[in-house]
Amino acid sequence: MSRTYYIFSSGRLKREHNTLCLESEEGRRVIPVEDVEQIYFFGETDFNSRLLEFLAQKGITAHIFNHFGYYTGSFIPRASQLSGFLLVRQVEHYLCPDKRLALARCFVEGAIHNIRRNLEKRGLDDICTGLDNYRNALKKASSVEEVMSTEAHARKLYYSAWEEITGWEFGERTRQPPQNALNALISFGNAMTYTTVLKEIYKTALNPTISYLHEPSERRFSLALDIAEVFKPVLVDKIIFRLINQKQLTLDHFNRDLNATYLSEEGRKVFVREFETQVESTILHRTLRRKVKYKSLIRLDLYKLIKHLLGEETFTPMKVWW
Amino acid sequence: MNVHVILVYDINTEDNAGKKRLPKVLKICRKYLVHVQKSVFEGHLTEGQYTRLQHELGRVVDKKADFVIAYKLGDGVKLEKDILTETPDPTDNFL
Repeated sequence: MSRTYYIFSSGRLKREHNTLCLESEEGRRVIPVEDVEQIYFFGETDFNSRLLEFLAQKGITAHIFNHFGYYTGSFIPRASQLSGFLLVRQVEHYLCPDKRLALARCFVEGAIHNIRRNLEKRGLDDICTGLDNYRNALKKASSVEEVMSTEAHARKLYYSAWEEITGWEFGERTRQPPQNALNALISFGNAMTYTTVLKEIYKTALNPTISYLHEPSERRFSLALDIAEVFKPVLVDKIIFRLINQKQLTLDHFNRDLNATYLSEEGRKVFVREFETQVESTILHRTLRRKVKYKSLIRLDLYKLIKHLLGEETFTPMKVWW
Repeated sequence: MNVHVILVYDINTEDNAGKKRLPKVLKICRKYLVHVQKSVFEGHLTEGQYTRLQHELGRVVDKKADFVIAYKLGDGVKLEKDILTETPDPTDNFL
């Protein structure tokens, strides 16, 4: 049963006696390699190719974030799960406009459902009705572009409630770089979800570059973006509301630059800790009739997608039932 | 099935063979478990990992002279820990 390790301190991570060892200002810390599933690097860490080889051998994924908490990239061991047959099916579903539209619609449908669940019980009935309208419009959408724009409108409507929920200034969604604290939180949280999904995709035979909602542009693992769409309301937005409402995060946790706002290291720690707790917590699954971790829900969705691609069952995205 | 393991060893280092065994045992344990104190280890393992750990240790330790004991907690049993000193939790995954 392996865990995720988050390295904030700067130092050197190396292979030592067939296990991992982190040397930093705080001293030496031996990490049991069998306990590691993935590593997030938030600080400035030195390592060499010998370490990367060892990580690949043990099937450990490494995600690297820069000084401002921007996602830089991931080191992923050579894919061990390969299926040419599935790849052919993935491409087939992309090339056939009807099949692609059906999948794209599914992702947005799931996203809007989960967004709506975040707003229920908060007395935001206007926005909920608005979201329902977009959901109906989705059924009539005849192209992926239309689905995309419905998604964008729904999300814009959703974000309009954020100032009321959190009491913080929001304005509008700004990225690269985020202009205020809430935007910085969303960007950082989305990057965390994206990497979590990406790691799960690599555990299946799915090809992460072929996507349905997002355009599979080069240099991006866009399938991870598709899947993340469904999980962002559950894994990111809820945590943001919780951390702000319980005053665990304050505006002091942000650094303001000339034209950008970033989470400080302390703030990142607070967020990542909450994210980790959320991903590792369990809920009772209705059809499986057993407890599953939130991170397993991502894998289950991927399995459903595979079944859909192989023509066994129709894909239904994870919809918050609790 | 996963197990939470607390492993404690006592390697007899009176002779040279024992002095050679000790670091070997330490290195094996460090691959699977978090080093909590000098000869105390703790960690969460799958059944497969636990079997491999047992197997690797079995090949190194002297079954007559040494003493290795593993306390196991089954799946779903939560282990509560109280650290009475100012030491940070050695099993923390935030570094």
